[in-house]
Amino acid sequence: MGGGQDGRPVVVLADDDVAITSNLAPFLERAGFAVHVAADGTAALELVRRLDPDGCVLDVLMPGPDGREVLRRLRAEGRWLPVILLTQVGESRERAIALDEGADDYLNKPFDPYELLARLRAVVRRARPGRRPLSASPGLRAGELRMDRVARRAWLKDTELTLTPKAMLLLDYLITHPDELMTRERLLEVLWGFDFPVGTRAVDNRVAELRRALGDDSARPQWIATIPGQGYRFVATVEEVR
Amino acid sequence: MRRLGPGAWAALLAPVLAGAIVGVPLQVAEPGMRLYAATSPGLVAGIAGLACAAVMAGVLGARWHADRVAATAATAALEGAAASAARDRLRFLARLDHELKNPLTAIRVGLVNLEQTTGMRAGGDEGGTALASVSAQADRITRLVSDLRKLADLETQALEAAPVELPSLLAEVAEAIGDLPGASERSVRVTVPQAPWPLPPVEGDRDLLFVALQNLAGNAVKFSAPGDTVEIRASEDGEGLLIEVADTGIGIPADEIGQVWEELARGRAARSLPGTGIGLALVRVITARHGGRVAIRSRQGQGTVVSLWLPLPAGPGAAPDVAGSRQRGDSPGKAVA
Repeated sequence: MGGGQDGRPVVVLADDDVAITSNLAPFLERAGFAVHVAADGTAALELVRRLDPDGCVLDVLMPGPDGREVLRRLRAEGRWLPVILLTQVGESRERAIALDEGADDYLNKPFDPYELLARLRAVVRRARPGRRPLSASPGLRAGELRMDRVARRAWLKDTELTLTPKAMLLLDYLITHPDELMTRERLLEVLWGFDFPVGTRAVDNRVAELRRALGDDSARPQWIATIPGQGYRFVATVEEVR
Repeated sequence: MRRLGPGAWAALLAPVLAGAIVGVPLQVAEPGMRLYAATSPGLVAGIAGLACAAVMAGVLGARWHADRVAATAATAALEGAAASAARDRLRFLARLDHELKNPLTAIRVGLVNLEQTTGMRAGGDEGGTALASVSAQADRITRLVSDLRKLADLETQALEAAPVELPSLLAEVAEAIGDLPGASERSVRVTVPQAPWPLPPVEGDRDLLFVALQNLAGNAVKFSAPGDTVEIRASEDGEGLLIEVADTGIGIPADEIGQVWEELARGRAARSLPGTGIGLALVRVITARHGGRVAIRSRQGQGTVVSLWLPLPAGPGAAPDVAGSRQRGDSPGKAVA
């Protein structure tokens, strides 16, 4: 990684609100990124085509082509650079759409700037040049676990897993972000869309449900590992099906 | 008086027409025909009474039908108005939430920039103290806005429905409030019946039920003092589960109790305490979405009990012990007494 002229990873930051870009750009610059700001969708497309950056942060609501449309056009052009969508709505339907459209990750506004930094570093590190991200793949496999992400179904060997919708959502997020440390707070946001006061134990309960369904031993995990005091990590190797 | 509808006119005209159709040809063809009947005056009186009753029943039935039509229309109008008001509110909350998101994001990033570039540390010098204070206030607005949004979302989003075991849920709630400031100085007790049978599971969204109960238990801790008692207890009445969260705390003044379920309602006692005033509204919405109901009783200076009733899943197999026992005569206390 690190396609910038001085070795710094290049990032395109697209948001029509100057209050956002004028604060976020220096923050990301200090964190070691070379940041180029776009004020609308057209400018974002043009910047990405010209710079071929290492990553892109796209606000969903922008004049001209909005964030989702920019993402669709980039993917249609075969550009698989890591993209983080800044979404507005916290509902799971919106989140599913964000990932279905080929975003590598997403954050709901207002977000913790350090969380954006963590997500951005993770997607840039995980990027597979020229190949679509796992989050844009319709089918994935991790060992004996197979997942049809479009139909939201999963199988262990030949047996279909019976999971609650939230557990399925969690499995989907974990399997598309393998080898990344996920804090309970982040996973809670994935499950509920915002900092819902359900307590991080809600995450532990869903992970327990997943482990039961997978027959995963928390002491010697094959899929989901507990990182004591920090969160969880999907440890199995993930590959695309077909 | 109400006007008669076409149906009523038809009902009145039909017998007249039927009489004319039979009577007129008879009168024309056989003008001399006469009927003589020998019968008791008692029977005549009885038949006349029955005929009058039939007429009265017809009149009353028509009137009842008309009333019902009018009432249904009124209810529909009220429901329509309520639904439209609810939609307006949701739209307003969504817009408010939306308009505040960008400024709040900018403020949060700006504060981090300030911290990183000036070297100010929260709590350090005067600047650091100011920074910490602004950060805390930005977080507070963020929380308020997202709480309001959550409330709006909860009223419409699909709930997960899975069997929820209350004993473990209540234990988790008690454990969670144990982390609250001052909780260790209250005596927190959880009571769950084991006899004559354990509590059957309720059907619902465990995470949301946790939120509701944690809110109630958190309030009980918040509005009580060291040495007070907080009780979380559950019972079953055959049709549902009753969960009560009771405390021996400061209680709620009589003039405030009517408003406690409204969003942003903050009692006088709560003004000095942290919170967004959304907790009980959240409890109300979560309970209603589970088909249940909430109630609150309080005495100022003595304490408060909030009860939350949740229906048990209907149908055979959902709660076999309970259903079976009920058929064998598990019924209200008066049968036993």
